[in-house]
Amino acid sequence: MKRFSFFNASALTLGFAFLYLPIVLLIIFSFNESRLVTVWGGFSTKWYSAVFANKGFMDAAWVTVRVGVVSATLATILGTMAALVLVRAGRFPGKTLFSGMVYAPLVMPEVITGLSLLLLFVSLDFDRGFWTIILAHVTFSMCYSAVVVSSRLVTFDMSLEEAAMDLGASRMATFFQVTVPIILPAIVSAWLLSFTLSLDDLVIASFTSGPGATTLPMKIYSQVRLGVTPEINALSTILVVLVSTGVIAASLLTKRREVQRRREERAAFAES
Amino acid sequence: MNGSPNFGSGCSFAPWADPHEKPLIRFDAVTKKFDDFVAIDNLNLKIYEREFFALLGPSGCGKTTLMRMLAGFEQPTTGSIMMNQEHLTDIPPHRRPVNMMFQSYALFPHMTVEQNIAFGLKQERRPKAEIKERVEEMIALVQLQPFAKRKPHQLSGGQRQRVALARSLAKKPRLLLLDEPLGALDRKLREQTQFELMTIQEKLGLTFVIVTHDQEEAMTVASRIALMEQGKVVQVATPREIYETPNCRYVADFLGDVNIVGGHILGPDDKEEDIVQLAWHEDYAPLRVRLPQPVTFPAKGKEMWIAVRPEKVRITKDYPTDTHNILKGKVLDIAYTGNISTYHVRTEDGQIIKSQEANLEHLHRRAITWDDEVYVHWRAGGCVLLER
Repeated sequence: MKRFSFFNASALTLGFAFLYLPIVLLIIFSFNESRLVTVWGGFSTKWYSAVFANKGFMDAAWVTVRVGVVSATLATILGTMAALVLVRAGRFPGKTLFSGMVYAPLVMPEVITGLSLLLLFVSLDFDRGFWTIILAHVTFSMCYSAVVVSSRLVTFDMSLEEAAMDLGASRMATFFQVTVPIILPAIVSAWLLSFTLSLDDLVIASFTSGPGATTLPMKIYSQVRLGVTPEINALSTILVVLVSTGVIAASLLTKRREVQRRREERAAFAES
Repeated sequence: MNGSPNFGSGCSFAPWADPHEKPLIRFDAVTKKFDDFVAIDNLNLKIYEREFFALLGPSGCGKTTLMRMLAGFEQPTTGSIMMNQEHLTDIPPHRRPVNMMFQSYALFPHMTVEQNIAFGLKQERRPKAEIKERVEEMIALVQLQPFAKRKPHQLSGGQRQRVALARSLAKKPRLLLLDEPLGALDRKLREQTQFELMTIQEKLGLTFVIVTHDQEEAMTVASRIALMEQGKVVQVATPREIYETPNCRYVADFLGDVNIVGGHILGPDDKEEDIVQLAWHEDYAPLRVRLPQPVTFPAKGKEMWIAVRPEKVRITKDYPTDTHNILKGKVLDIAYTGNISTYHVRTEDGQIIKSQEANLEHLHRRAITWDDEVYVHWRAGGCVLLER
């Protein structure tokens, strides 16, 4: 069994270098003493304290988190409702059209989505700001959550809902006591996906934001246009650490639950 | 006449035979169509209180649709379903005094055994203490006390089946529907569970309707069996009646093993007046069938069939006496299944007749073996005459 050959090792190294070298560089330079981004001037953490002292960054971060939480929540609710209708309603005229249209914003260029929303808000005479960014984010992230939730609903065992109704639960009670708890993992991942999409977004937010509502990606982008500072590197490093901690924790948790479940199933089988 | 073993000795349970008895469930001219496909075809059926009623048939015969209409998951296209004097058709599933045990068990994966059983009671907002007491009672009934706090994935198949049963019984339904309840269990456990189901049904005095494709299961548990084919009920009768006196070739063939010989009515026997003769081959003597009381003779020349169960056909090397129907043939095949041996005998004109013998002693050498010249024979009272 000689699977880890020289070829494999070099392919792996090259692949991961390609993926992670830029990020590693960014992290290294965030600890640079020097003001010049590309010249190493010794180790320092002063840029981190600078980030936390920068009110502009902190305000933008707070806006981003609020936009993310509100838009992800709304998008998950709307997306779940859309998924329920598309998966459950059986055949109705225009079903194919509707399900196609739910997916359309996934492939729509962001610039166009942003521009069309801008036109809408302008023509409706909406004050652009916090709420318009949320509306815009809900518009595209609900499609993603509809896709995530509907892929779970397709494999949902309908006899579970029938059993609940048979035992006296109304449609509403069935939905909240049986359907939602069972598809909860899908709903949670839809929420997380929507939240991440909202955090990432630069293009649509730039089109739909107004004065006083600047998200973190917008802030970073506008700062970079004036020149990359080590402060930006530090801020980006913080974001990278936060995101990767979240992802690693989530996958470890899932893995552990799966292992636990399999062990319990085997135990039940062995007992009988 | 009662063929059901589950009502104790001496007590005869046959509400269907009493014209004054009111059925619990009545199907009146029920038809169910899915687009162009007719799943249930103008069906009439009565099910009585405290019955253990089996819907039997091959897959696609409409038995599951019939059950789902009782549960309320399907609506009849035309016709009506009554429970006592009430139209069941207008009541949504969650308001019906009917509970169902699903084939897949449909246990709620996020709830423990207790919570699963309590689900139906909680929907009625019964007092907490009452729910707790009832759940404990149900868990004791199906002997799951050590597993009350477990979730479905921590249980074996047999335990899940018990939870599903307890959950569907918790609300004391007027009618319990069982959809292939034992299909997922292995043979030993299935047989044991059949008897447990019968005991529980008797103990609680409820009405059970079971859907199954397993004829042995239906015969074991049911007070009456409705055999279905393509959306129609072909025969409704007790297990004994449906086995001994099937009303057509389909029923005779579906339940157990059978030999069927077709022919034309010749006329009454010259010695015994309740025996009719059937001409089946020009070179052979006619076959004789004893008709049930009161005797009505079929018209002469009519095409009819004789059905005889293999266990009622004897096989001998010597020419038999004291019997009515004798055919000569050669042993073609012997199927040995431990408890019995089934001989496949080809008669001189090519008809295959199966004969079963119980293996009463250890089998070292067979008295009858392949290619032996034998006589297969059965008495006129051991076979039935079928119109179709």
